[in-house]
Amino acid sequence: MNRGKSIRYIAGAAGVLLIAFLVVLAMAKPGESESASSPLLGNPAPVVKSTTLGGGSFDLSHRKGSWVVLNFFNSTCVPCRQEHPLLIDFVKEQKTSDNAVELYTIVNDDSDGAVTAFFETNGGKWPVVRDDDGAISVAFGVAKVPESWVIDPNGFVRLRIMGGLTKGFLTTRLNELKSQFAGGQ
Amino acid sequence: MKHLKSWPVWMLMGLIVVALLTVGTTRDNGPLTQSDRIDSITKHIACPTCDGESVYVSRASAAEAIRNQVARDVSAGTLTDDEIIGSIANTFKAKVLLVPRATGVDSLVWILPIAVLVCSIAGLWAAFRRWRRDNSGEASSDDVALVEKLLAEDPTDEDYV
Amino acid sequence: MLGVEGLAGPLGRAALLVGLIGAFFGMIAAVTGTRNEDEKVLRLVPRFATLSCVAAISAFAAMEWAMITRDFSLAYVQKVGSKSTPALYNFTAVWSALEGSILLWVLILTCLTAGIVFKYRTRIADPMVGWAVATMFFVGIFFFILTLGPANPFAAGAAGVLDGPGPNPLLQNHILVVFHPPILYLGYVGMTVPFAFAIGALITGRVGEGWLVETRRWALFSWGFLTLGIILGSWWSYEVLGWSGVWAWDPVENASFIPWLTGTAYIHSVLVQERRGMLRVWNLSLLVSTFSLTILGTFLTRSGVLNSVHAFSDSNIGPYLLTFFAIIVVVSVALIGWRGQKLHSPGTIDSPLSREGAFLANNVIFSVFAFVVLLGTVFPLIIEALQNRQLVVGEPFFDKLAVPVGLTLLFLMCIAPVLPWRKASGELLANRLFWPAWGGIGALALSVGVGATGFAPLLTFALGGFAGGAALRQLVLATRRQGLRGLLGRANGGMVVHIGVILIAVALAASNSYTHSQEMMLKQGVVATFNGHTFELTGFTNESDARRTVVAAVVRVDGGKSYTPAITKFKSMGTNIGTPSVKSSFVEDIYLTVEPPIKMSSKTVKIKVFIKPMVMWLWIGGGLMGIGTLLSAFPGRRRKPTDATSAPVPTEAVS
Repeated sequence: MNRGKSIRYIAGAAGVLLIAFLVVLAMAKPGESESASSPLLGNPAPVVKSTTLGGGSFDLSHRKGSWVVLNFFNSTCVPCRQEHPLLIDFVKEQKTSDNAVELYTIVNDDSDGAVTAFFETNGGKWPVVRDDDGAISVAFGVAKVPESWVIDPNGFVRLRIMGGLTKGFLTTRLNELKSQFAGGQ
Repeated sequence: MKHLKSWPVWMLMGLIVVALLTVGTTRDNGPLTQSDRIDSITKHIACPTCDGESVYVSRASAAEAIRNQVARDVSAGTLTDDEIIGSIANTFKAKVLLVPRATGVDSLVWILPIAVLVCSIAGLWAAFRRWRRDNSGEASSDDVALVEKLLAEDPTDEDYV
Repeated sequence: MLGVEGLAGPLGRAALLVGLIGAFFGMIAAVTGTRNEDEKVLRLVPRFATLSCVAAISAFAAMEWAMITRDFSLAYVQKVGSKSTPALYNFTAVWSALEGSILLWVLILTCLTAGIVFKYRTRIADPMVGWAVATMFFVGIFFFILTLGPANPFAAGAAGVLDGPGPNPLLQNHILVVFHPPILYLGYVGMTVPFAFAIGALITGRVGEGWLVETRRWALFSWGFLTLGIILGSWWSYEVLGWSGVWAWDPVENASFIPWLTGTAYIHSVLVQERRGMLRVWNLSLLVSTFSLTILGTFLTRSGVLNSVHAFSDSNIGPYLLTFFAIIVVVSVALIGWRGQKLHSPGTIDSPLSREGAFLANNVIFSVFAFVVLLGTVFPLIIEALQNRQLVVGEPFFDKLAVPVGLTLLFLMCIAPVLPWRKASGELLANRLFWPAWGGIGALALSVGVGATGFAPLLTFALGGFAGGAALRQLVLATRRQGLRGLLGRANGGMVVHIGVILIAVALAASNSYTHSQEMMLKQGVVATFNGHTFELTGFTNESDARRTVVAAVVRVDGGKSYTPAITKFKSMGTNIGTPSVKSSFVEDIYLTVEPPIKMSSKTVKIKVFIKPMVMWLWIGGGLMGIGTLLSAFPGRRRKPTDATSAPVPTEAVS
């Protein structure tokens, strides 16, 4: 007689546990939402020394004196393709402004041929830097592309943008940063 | 034959096991190659774009990039395993910690299994004690003789299953 | 062209609708016929079962037809079909993504339902059978709804599409894609049958042993298929993925492993109920858990809540699966609670040192194991839901907890086969375990002799030898008495399965603890050595077709046969897949992978070599588990009547 009752209690408890578990699972959302923070912010940028698709070499430390945007890119990633026209506009805009911001693309896990073909088809003329071994991506902690990083003229990392850019976003944030760090011009 | 299965022989067997285990566990494993060290480090880092796969397992490009970084650090030879893991965890933040830390809410994932195990063992123990209390009757000598007779007849009786 | 093309979609959809109607009315007929004891209504049940089954077969055939004829009017064919996929992989492409795999589930489920209805056609008036069939129809209704709703394989695709990307590259380069998913599904779906009978037993109140005995072989075969499916999945991981391992505690792997754990506990625990009428609540709970965990597993992997190698994109199938899981568990738990009184078993366990005690301990350990794996798998979800941050629970967590549990189970395997029912004395145990214990010592000595180290692996080898000895002892005794027939039956077949498990445990311990790897840069014509083996790059191969380009390095191992680890580039997806090449032997596997990029002109290649001991024994163990399951399905020797111990002592010998 007692056994029957205890089975009922256990069944009841199991039911309650289960409902709680289900509520939690139902609340779980697929996909991720990320904040664009990084331990690198406010610190000197990692070493970036590599070659460009154009045949030259690239060293981030030699770019001191200008604001630099590093855009991590892969020709098959959909948001990368979507933001590409915005980057073209950005470069055009910077050409006509003083205190121009330099844009460099860092290739993330893609072949030279595919990237060159992409730029030929879709336009855009700015240095594209190879990332053999993925060393640059790992140094910045970039796992998913696209990401855009802003580095100030003193070589310090100031902004991390994860995901694709939206219209005017990059320019606006850069202007904010420029005025914020007006001392370092 | 009866003496072969007696308690002294069992104790001897136990001693042999302890001796063998001691020899086996205290001897040197042989040198680890650099590759082995890389493998063991990457088994403790999570691939940041996968779901729970370690960098050792994952074939994703981010995992491969991290493997290359670990390989560089290992061949440079200046950092310990933990330092290498730490430096990668630093740039990728908690996303690459392959197991939850044992602090805060995360520790639940370690505590709950132990708690469940302890409760089950306690439950089993309590149940056996209750049953033994309820079943403290004695068999009659006739019953015992009957059982012995049947056991003697056929020790491999499939009734045992 | 318009006559045939474009027909598969509407035809398939119509078939699924007919199937749903068949399942729905089948359930209604079964329920009303059983409740009103109406023979005429019950006679409709087989008709509806057949209708549903034929409809599902037609829908599946329509899907295959669309895939084979490359009918790109369907969204699903646009997703996984391609003109350049070879015929075999095109056929299997049907179950390479969500919608098709649900269709496969429906196919197997309706065939099983029809099979059950056919098998019990003379007993359809039995209320337990009636409710069991109704339950199976109910599950069928759910899956039909899925195929008509969120997982619709016959949805029309965008217009004007002339070709597709084909299935995931990992699903088109190894023949195991033909076997692993269907076999795994046979295991999952097969569990519906014992579950349905359990529900029937609970509803009718006949919670004795009848339903167990009815479904014994169904449960055994489902478990067997699930086991085989999991092992094939490990083999596939090993041969295809290139990280040289067989098990990564990936959420999808866990989703198949958790119901396997409760299912294994169940098939052991039912022996106690058959024999002594005990552990009824345990058996019902384990069975309900096993079935509902297959649904939960499907939810975890298909809803996109967790991403992994297998999980296919997100769809809105999640809420459906979660709701169904809730219904199943709530109803089952309510039924168990309702019948609580009747589930009180007549006997108790006399002593922990008895077969019943061992099986009870077995249940507890397997349940704890299942809980731990489930916890690790869903913990990230829980934390994300409650605290909105991400965390990962990976291999080290599972390994740390699985190793002690595994060792405990190995230990149980040592003593449980020799334990008699009711009570054992220390003397009896010492007597029976003597030679098996020497088996353990022998195994330990052998391992130490060949140079093995490490406490956990050595303990695994010792316990493995011990447990192997216990299993062999049973087999030797049985074959001595009955010749080859001594290998048949639950006891003996079970021992063969145990030996298989032991081989797998030993092989896992060896390959996980003693694998060595080395990266080498091979220059053509120059021989490199590692760990007592030689490797020589003799050249490259480059094959290309419309679908893919395969560039391989030809490496001669130990001066003998050549092996070709390769990199395959799939043109339509732009992805590179590394393909390993393995030299297997009984002692060890030499596993080769090649690091991209391969520059043939440079006459060098960077390879990684893994020397992995004893991997072949994993597959041999798996094979033994399959063989043992088959042997267990045969009836063993007929038992003596069980009242011999309480009946008066007979005056003449009973045969």
